[in-house]
Amino acid sequence: MSAAGQEGAHPPAIRRAAVIGAGVMGAGIAAQIANAGTPVLLLDIVPGAAARAVQTMLKADPAPFMHRAAAKRVQPGDLDADFAKLAECDWIVEAIVERPDLKRALYGRLEGVRKAGSIVSSNTSTIPLRDLTAGLPDRFAADFLITHFFNPPRYMRLLELVAGPATRPDAVAAIRDFADRALGKTVVECRDTPGFIANRIGTLWLQSAINHAVDLRLTIEEADAVVGRPMGIPKTGVFGLIDLVGLDLMPHVANSLLATLPEGDAYRALHREHGTITGLIAAGRTGRKSGKGGFYTRAKDAEGNSLKRAIDLWTGEDRPSAKPSLESLDLGSRNLRALAEHPDRGGRYARAVLLDTLAYAASLVPEIADDVTAVDAAMRLGYAWKYGPFELIDRLGPGWLAAALRAADRPVPPLLELAGERPFYRTEAGTLQFLGLDGDYHDVVRPEGVLLLADVKRRSKPLARNGSASLWDIGDGVACLEFHTKMNAMDPDILALIGKAVGMGRKGAFRALVIHNEGSHFSAGANLGLALFAANIAAWGEIEGLVEGGQKAYRALREAPFPVVGAPSGMALGGGCEVLLHCDAVQAHAESYIGLVEVGVGLIPGWGGCTTMLRRWSAAPGLPKGPMPPLSKVFEMISTAQVAKSAFEAREMLLLREGDGITMNRDRLLADAKARALALVEGYEAPKPGTLRVAGPTGQAALRLAVDGFAQLGKATPHDVVVCGYLAETLTGGARGDFIDETPEDAILKLERQSFMALVRHPATLARVEHMLETGRPLRN
Amino acid sequence: MTDVVIAAYRRSPFHLAHKGDLARVRPDEMAAQVVRAMVADSGADPEAIEDLVLGCAFPEGEQGLNVARLVSFLAGLPQGAGAVTVNRFCGSSMQSVHQAAGAIRMGAGEAFVCAGVESMTRVPMMGFNPMPHPGLAARYPAAYVNMGETAENVATRHQVSRAEQEAFAVESQRRAAAAREAGRFAAEIVPIDTGKGTVAQDGCIREGTTAEGLAALKPAFRADGTVTAGTSSPLTDGASALLVCSAAHAKARGMTPLARVKSIAVSGCSPEVMGLGPIGASRKALARAGIAARDLDVVELNEAFASQAIACMRELGLDPAKVNIDGGAIALGHPLGATGARIVGKAAALLQREGGRYALATQCIGGGQGIATVLESVA
Repeated sequence: MSAAGQEGAHPPAIRRAAVIGAGVMGAGIAAQIANAGTPVLLLDIVPGAAARAVQTMLKADPAPFMHRAAAKRVQPGDLDADFAKLAECDWIVEAIVERPDLKRALYGRLEGVRKAGSIVSSNTSTIPLRDLTAGLPDRFAADFLITHFFNPPRYMRLLELVAGPATRPDAVAAIRDFADRALGKTVVECRDTPGFIANRIGTLWLQSAINHAVDLRLTIEEADAVVGRPMGIPKTGVFGLIDLVGLDLMPHVANSLLATLPEGDAYRALHREHGTITGLIAAGRTGRKSGKGGFYTRAKDAEGNSLKRAIDLWTGEDRPSAKPSLESLDLGSRNLRALAEHPDRGGRYARAVLLDTLAYAASLVPEIADDVTAVDAAMRLGYAWKYGPFELIDRLGPGWLAAALRAADRPVPPLLELAGERPFYRTEAGTLQFLGLDGDYHDVVRPEGVLLLADVKRRSKPLARNGSASLWDIGDGVACLEFHTKMNAMDPDILALIGKAVGMGRKGAFRALVIHNEGSHFSAGANLGLALFAANIAAWGEIEGLVEGGQKAYRALREAPFPVVGAPSGMALGGGCEVLLHCDAVQAHAESYIGLVEVGVGLIPGWGGCTTMLRRWSAAPGLPKGPMPPLSKVFEMISTAQVAKSAFEAREMLLLREGDGITMNRDRLLADAKARALALVEGYEAPKPGTLRVAGPTGQAALRLAVDGFAQLGKATPHDVVVCGYLAETLTGGARGDFIDETPEDAILKLERQSFMALVRHPATLARVEHMLETGRPLRN
Repeated sequence: MTDVVIAAYRRSPFHLAHKGDLARVRPDEMAAQVVRAMVADSGADPEAIEDLVLGCAFPEGEQGLNVARLVSFLAGLPQGAGAVTVNRFCGSSMQSVHQAAGAIRMGAGEAFVCAGVESMTRVPMMGFNPMPHPGLAARYPAAYVNMGETAENVATRHQVSRAEQEAFAVESQRRAAAAREAGRFAAEIVPIDTGKGTVAQDGCIREGTTAEGLAALKPAFRADGTVTAGTSSPLTDGASALLVCSAAHAKARGMTPLARVKSIAVSGCSPEVMGLGPIGASRKALARAGIAARDLDVVELNEAFASQAIACMRELGLDPAKVNIDGGAIALGHPLGATGARIVGKAAALLQREGGRYALATQCIGGGQGIATVLESVA
């Protein structure tokens, strides 16, 4: 079976891979290949370095490996001693130092060992393909391409692929397919130009943002605030981002681009060294990894509180960080054009950076890519921008941007002239189209096997809808239930729509149901704000209604006469996890973070989470007999609010079951989930409510003793002890539980409800909820 | 009256649970290898063996059923010999010596194999299904008190500072490492065949342990406590076995006994300070032997925790130079069911090696008990 658990997900072309160069990128690429279930040889010129890299990765956070088992698929070795092993590999990724001479020498050696039909690719970010293949045999050029991963390779979804004129099309197809399905990457094909797409535009964007921040005298907090949220860029903005990737990387990237960019490239005019930045690098303050900070530092005050400090770009002095206060920021977060037109320095800054960056991007098509969609995809996935450059231009208006450029006496790129007042994207007859270089609109074509809810929504009306959720027809008689609240938190409207959907399905409106959405997170759990509000006005009946409503809705899903498949990506916590636990099957994106985290806010799972996990662990093979082992597992998991850090970990925790599927590429998740749902339709029978063996008061006593030990150690807080007490009571079946009886699941569900209601009235629980809502962090009271 | 002697003593190497070299060895198999080697090397007449008395603190799973009987089959003891599993938690295999001694005095047998085993890897402490009596747990929580907590209680009540505990642990480690280095464990260790190789050396000893190193550890049981992993005995896998027989049998077989069993005792104490159990038990045993602590030449005092070992030494007035000469459980490890036979055998062997007349082996027991054995030289 493939690790991804996805039938036929792996093309047979890549059965064994190798990565040469065990630096951060090479090791990370090897880890992702291993995550995909493919054995990979990791070699380094320094003896022992590859083995050390694997050990380092096992401790790294965020983790390069999705599961411990993946680490075992990486076979570390020494380049010279293990060179012959490369003969077994179908794909060899070179990730050594960025020196064409050394790379070519390595390729020459590879020719002596690698098998016919194997593929070699370089992870270079700067060296043109033509320079890499110069002087090498035709066979090599035919089997060679560039695969440029982004750091960290597990988490960044972009893969830039550059094929040369001599590269075999089937080699490109094999790598493209493997990268897409097995590694989960969105492959963007690039031309053989310096910096390809993302770094070419990204480097100019960073330089522009630094220059204008200095010239317009913005603080770095202001610059990051303007560039961040309003432009749909992660809140690290520019300076926070450079701190993250390392200040010392900047001159390196700049120099390599300056060496290869065409004469007259806009970056050459913008490139500037700033004394403050060179000073920071010289002082070893190269960002977060340096331990000394970078633009931002953390210092402790007299009371030991951690204080954020920020550098003044002009003086080079640190000062306490201050929340930016700019009028333009207040209005600009929704309306990008209003921000760029605002006369204060925030507005002028936004305008200057947008003009530089967007004009540059527009000037580079078709030099760096066939069309605008490739550029937008590269910036979204390689730099985590919410909108690509052309999507940003559409937000501003192409005509507005052209006029702004003219007003600044700057050339208007031909592509922008071509667009005129027309947007780069439009929806025509329910289909997304982009503006081509021929001046006509063309359909955005999704790869085979990719089904996006966004596309469904563009072309159809929901089968049912309320303010929190919608039900869509995704074809072949399958409906998709979409949540669309903030963080996709579960609320009464979602529960109501679940009920409605089940009713529609019972009447034959569809054959199977998929629960899925395209938010960053499947669901962060129940809406705590609502719960707190209800508690504050002592609306206990409302809360109890919500708990009962959730149990009913989830049970209706489980007992519906049609298959239900959950398809999560990102966080699926608390109530969001429990909805998955009630599905007939789950098709999870590999990057799913699933867990029952209610204890963090002083509650226990109340929508069947306790009952379902106890049922699953009670049936788990390999545990010692008796009522305690499954109980202990479930108790530990819930009482410590464990969250699986990948779908593979979720499977180990039985949050996913053996038969549940894992999809590596998020874009393929809905189609895979739909296929899984359809496969269940034939002869489907809903599971019936069952019974459980519970440990009873003796089990409760054992768990309480264990919790007391943690309390003594200071690992459980006083309120943890209270919450764990209720959890223990629930999981052991209460005062009348006895392991010689078959206890109906309903009895445990009732205990879940009672415990939840007792806890939700507890002042310490309410303090936890309030703290979580205010700070996003758990209160340890 | 019939004299009872310790005629032979052997043990397996002791290794850390979970990560040690014996983690993959079944406890019944490990015990059997030790029993087989001990009996073969002792010179005893196997046909004369009345019973295999095997101590085990959590007799379930692979050390469950009547594991003693299964060990007797595995070890190839004559079918005519009996086999009983005894449980007095940490005192289990010292209890096996006491049972044998009593039987011999009763004329109910000539020779006994007194053994002990615990795989703390393969059967967790507390067992797979800990099911405390809810009423008792509520009314008298001390009945189920956690062992680390008792070590903290003893440290507090007897004012044993963290620094004293750490100095004690450093010395235990130093003595054990020196003994291993000098090959002083070679005669007692039965190499264990794991199926993938042979394990012949102890695995728990941390050579080069320093007070500074221990001072950096976090408290293991109580946030503001003084007891750390470094001043506690580790979870351990191991087995031990003695030949306990009448002096007459030893003589008839031409064996040279290690020591004579002079007196035995058990006594209860408060579970919250179970680590003080050796005080009452030792006092009883010494009184029954008609001697005082100052008459002892060798003492094996089990180091469940440094705090309780120190408190017991103080209360009993023991000379630190004579206590745990080759190191104790903090360094060597403490496979619960196997420790009692180890320290009785060790005390007997030391009496022979170091010379002197009297030895004491004593240990504390979870739940609030102590057990003690006084040995006398046969030289």
